[in-house]
This record gives sequence, C-alpha cells and structure tokens, in this order.
Amino acid sequence: MIVAGCDVGSLTAKAVIMEEENIISQAVVLAKTRPSESAGDVMEKALKKAGLSRGDIRFAVGTGYGKDQVSFVQRVESEISCHAKGAWWNRPAVRTVIDIGGQDAKAIQLDDKGKVVRYIYNDKCASGTGRFLEVMAEAMEVDLEKMGDIGKQAKERITISNQCVIFAETEVVSLINEGKDVSAIINALHRAMAGRVVSLARSIGVETDVVMTGGVAKNSGVFDALADCLNLPVNHLDGIDPQINGAVGAALFAREYA
Amino acid sequence: MTFDDRQTRLQDIIDEPLNTWLDQAVADGNVPIGYTCSYVPRALLSLDGLIPVRVRAPGAAGTEIAEIYLSNVTCSYSRSLLEFAMDDRYDFLGGWVFAAGCDHIRRLLDNLDYLISPDFSHMIDAPHRKGDAALDWYIKELDILLEKLADHFGIDTGEEALNAAVINQNRLHRSLKEIADLRKQKQPPISGTEFQRIMMASLTVPAGDMEKALREIKDSVARREKQTDFRARLMVVGGNIDDTDFIHTIESTGGLVVADRFCTGSLPGLVMLDESNDPLTEIAQKTLLETSCPRMMEDFQDRLGSIIDTAREYDVDGVIVEHIKFCDIWGIETGLLVDGLREAGLPALRLERDYRQTGEGQLRTRIQAFLERMNK
Repeated sequence: MIVAGCDVGSLTAKAVIMEEENIISQAVVLAKTRPSESAGDVMEKALKKAGLSRGDIRFAVGTGYGKDQVSFVQRVESEISCHAKGAWWNRPAVRTVIDIGGQDAKAIQLDDKGKVVRYIYNDKCASGTGRFLEVMAEAMEVDLEKMGDIGKQAKERITISNQCVIFAETEVVSLINEGKDVSAIINALHRAMAGRVVSLARSIGVETDVVMTGGVAKNSGVFDALADCLNLPVNHLDGIDPQINGAVGAALFAREYA
Repeated sequence: MTFDDRQTRLQDIIDEPLNTWLDQAVADGNVPIGYTCSYVPRALLSLDGLIPVRVRAPGAAGTEIAEIYLSNVTCSYSRSLLEFAMDDRYDFLGGWVFAAGCDHIRRLLDNLDYLISPDFSHMIDAPHRKGDAALDWYIKELDILLEKLADHFGIDTGEEALNAAVINQNRLHRSLKEIADLRKQKQPPISGTEFQRIMMASLTVPAGDMEKALREIKDSVARREKQTDFRARLMVVGGNIDDTDFIHTIESTGGLVVADRFCTGSLPGLVMLDESNDPLTEIAQKTLLETSCPRMMEDFQDRLGSIIDTAREYDVDGVIVEHIKFCDIWGIETGLLVDGLREAGLPALRLERDYRQTGEGQLRTRIQAFLERMNK
C-alpha cells in the first residue's frame, strides 16, 4: 500500500511517499504564493522520483499552514500531530520534539505512546525561526547552508542583545563595521536563537529524549547551541532529513486512515 | 423570517455600533448608555427610557490614534474603543457608565473624559471582594449611580421603576436562556457562532426589539436540522468576546462551542433576579456574587469549581481558555485555570488573542492540534 504526506509550509513544501514502513520518495520545493500550487509541485516531484502517478497513492494527508488548500489529500492533520508522529516513529524514545521551521518554532511533549501531551508554538515572532538566519545570512553575505560550519570557527564569544530580527540585523551590521569576526557573529546568532527556542520549550517542560526537527536542524551551529542551552543531549532523527519530518508524520497518518 | 435570515439580520445589527434598532429607539426619544463591564448592572441602565448598550468596536482595525493616549501595551479592547470614540463612532451614546474592572478600562474612561468630554460619564467603584461589607459598599455605589442618572437624565429611579426593570430583565433573560439551553442537547440545533450573534445583539439593542426577535428565533429554531458535523463539544472561557469571529474560527476547525462562559456570554451572564426582594439589593447581590470575574480576589477556587461544574453540565470534551493580550486579570487567571481544569481531568487549551480578529491561521492550528490531542 502506498500513501503520501504533504506538508505545505510558508517557505517550503515537502512531500513524502511511503510504502508500508519505508519512505520510497521525498521532495522539498520552495513554496509559491498559492499553497495548492506548492503542494501540486512537490507531490509531482516526489511521484516522479518514485516513478509513480497520483493514482498509485491510496491515501494522502496534508499538514502545514496551507493544508486546507491541498485538494488531493483526503484528510488534514495539524503540524503538531504530524511532527510528533514522525519523530516518534523514527525514535520511540523521544519525549520532546523541538521543531524550528522557516517561519515558526514549536516544542511538543509526547508520552511513551507517542501521544501529544503538551505543545507550544511561536508563529508570531520571526526571531526564533529560520527566517532569522536567512536575514542574517543575507546581511553578512554568507551562504545560509554554511552558517553552521562558519560559526564553529569562532574564537571570540560575543552577544547579540536585540531580540527583534530587524534590530538584530542592524546590530550585526554594526558588529561587522566594528571589525568583529563573521564566525563570532554567526556563533552569537546561533546562541541567541537557541536561547529563545529553549525558553519556549522550557515553558512546557523538556524531557529526554529530545529531538530537533525542521530545516534549521540542519544548521549544526543552532543544533549544538540548543543542546548547550538546554544542558541536555539533543538528537537528530535517525537517517531522515529533519525538514521532511512533518510530511513523514502526515504519511504515517495516511497509512492509519487508508 | 427563517432562522438563517434572522441570523443575517442580527449580523447586520452587530456590525455597527449604532444599529438600526437603536437608531430608531433614539429617534423615539430613548437614550442609549454605553457600558463596558459586567459589574455595571444593565437593569439600572434600562430605567425610564434608557437603553444599556455594551460598547463594542466591530471591525476594529488599527489603533494608531488610541495608542498615542493609551500606549500599545494595553488591552486592545480598550484601545479599539478609544479609537472608535476618537472617530466619533459613539456620538449617539447619551453617556458612559464604567465599573472599575481593570486599570486599562479605568484609563480608557480617563481618556474619554479628557478627549471627548461626554455629557455623562460615571465610574462605579465596584469592590474586589464579596461579603457583607463589600455588598454594602456596592449598594451605596449603585445608589450614587442612580442619583446621578436621575439628576442628569430626569428619569424615575424609584422602587417601582426598579421593580419593573427587574421584571423586564428577567423576561429577556428567560427568553435567551430557552435558546441557550438548547446547546445542552447532544446535537444542538444551533451553533456557538449563531448563539453568540444572538447574545451580542441582545446586549446592544432595545429589549423590546430583542424579545420580538427571540420569539421568532424560538419558533424557527425548532424546525432546524441538528448540528451533526462537529468533532468535539467545547466550552470557551474568558473575558470580552463581543464578536462572532473568534467563535467562528474555533468552529471552523470542527469544534462546536456549546458553552459560552465569558463576559459577554450566557454563562453566568443570564442571571435571574428574585422579584420578591428589594430590587436594588437584589441587583447588587446577584451582580456581585454571580458575575464571577477574575477581578474578584480570593474567589479563584469558586470560579474554577463552577467552570468544572458547567463543563460537566454541558458535557464538553474540552475547554478553551482565552484572554486578550495584555489583559492583566484574565492573563493571570488563564494559566491557573488551565492547570486546574487539567487536574480535574478536563482537556484545556490556553489561547491568547487580540481583540481584533487577527492571526486566524495561527489560532486554527492551535485549536486543531487541541482537538487532535483529545482524539477528536
């Protein structure tokens, strides 16, 4: 039986196709203005990679902000439930999922059966989200994907005092003009961001095992800073791109509903 | 008129601060008095040609002018009212009566007096405690209000007039309760949004017009299909929700709001007064004892207990506890309530919102996750 999950976020859309217990295809595309188009594009990409067509999919579940505009899914689930499900399937010992996406961040507490116990969301302030890093990467003229490695080269510990993305960007420009090393600035940004997300997570309580998901989990600087701030080990998903975790969860729901 | 037509009509009514029914009442020589808090007894503002109007700011957008005077870290309800007032949207009111509910509302009246200079404005110094001394104080405060109303508007505030006001209020509340109680059914014939529309209209139009509308609604609702397309029965607890958008957002996710326990809701809002008691004492007593607002100190356990009882009475699956951002009293209460409700075995979601309808997507995500968490 082949099922699909489609996570339509504000910056990217993700699709996962599963056959029984295996992920047979996945895709990520930049989101368009219309969620229906993003969903269509990413699903087509995933289908093409697997050599399948829409008719081969028995059941599809949508999630993410644009989920209600995805016509080809039979059901929708919240991204909270999908991220929880995806992480627990991958790692049943997980009790806290910290997801940092392009424009939101969330912390989810699970019980030993993978059921969501508590959750908290930040989708009002960009400074705890991937967008923060995007803006800063642009300000410093560095590759977003390389920020993790660059930050690790820092020889000086500095602090970014502004929480707001806009004012933090101004602060970064000032630091550059003061001659501060880009790696030190990036390291500081990672710590600042991690601190805010940890604050969010701690408000619902953090229990081990902790897993980080979402595109920002691919930034080793933020990942390490998160573990430092929490003073707990933080884990990656086992063998799965953290950015597709929501879509994996959606596909797992599709498997249940099919 | 069909039920749905009546709903459309009521939505038109509540879409403007000065609705057509109120406009006609003003043309007929009645005087609408604006109020902002449940500790202002409506019965006293309905004496002898006065009409109590719960002041709202329907369709409020920005509050740029209000923020000059009220700062942007105040409750958006108070700021929206000031914005509307500065835009002359409340010029039809004959006066304003406030209760010292919270600092934001008190500052609102200060600013109204300073900027608009209404012909009549008064603040009731309502106590923050119950007990004999508090009741005594509150009765004296209401007496002062009556004296001022009589003096300014030349109205009859005697015992007979008060008795009539009590009887009239009971009649209206009885009619509203008949419709409100339909939501106790397993599959009610009316949604939370639809009922909220009826409640809001009842707080902003002349009682006679509302009673006529309620008679029609009662007839037409009996012929309605039951609500079946919902995932969970919900109770909403909180402060001032005076528009249908928030309830509609909740219900768009599949939750059905069957119990409206907030400032402008029917619980415990539709209090019945004992017509055999001294009217002013009865009004004071019931208002002070039954309004059940977090502004009342030392009362938290009673409030929690009554919310739990109501949740069981309405057989709700979960409770959404909301507050407007920067609301001091509900902001603190919601955290404690959610913990208390969860300890009592009731799933509870805490939601912070703005007075204006914003962030609908974010609200829907949270509510959806809440329903999923309840396996609904």
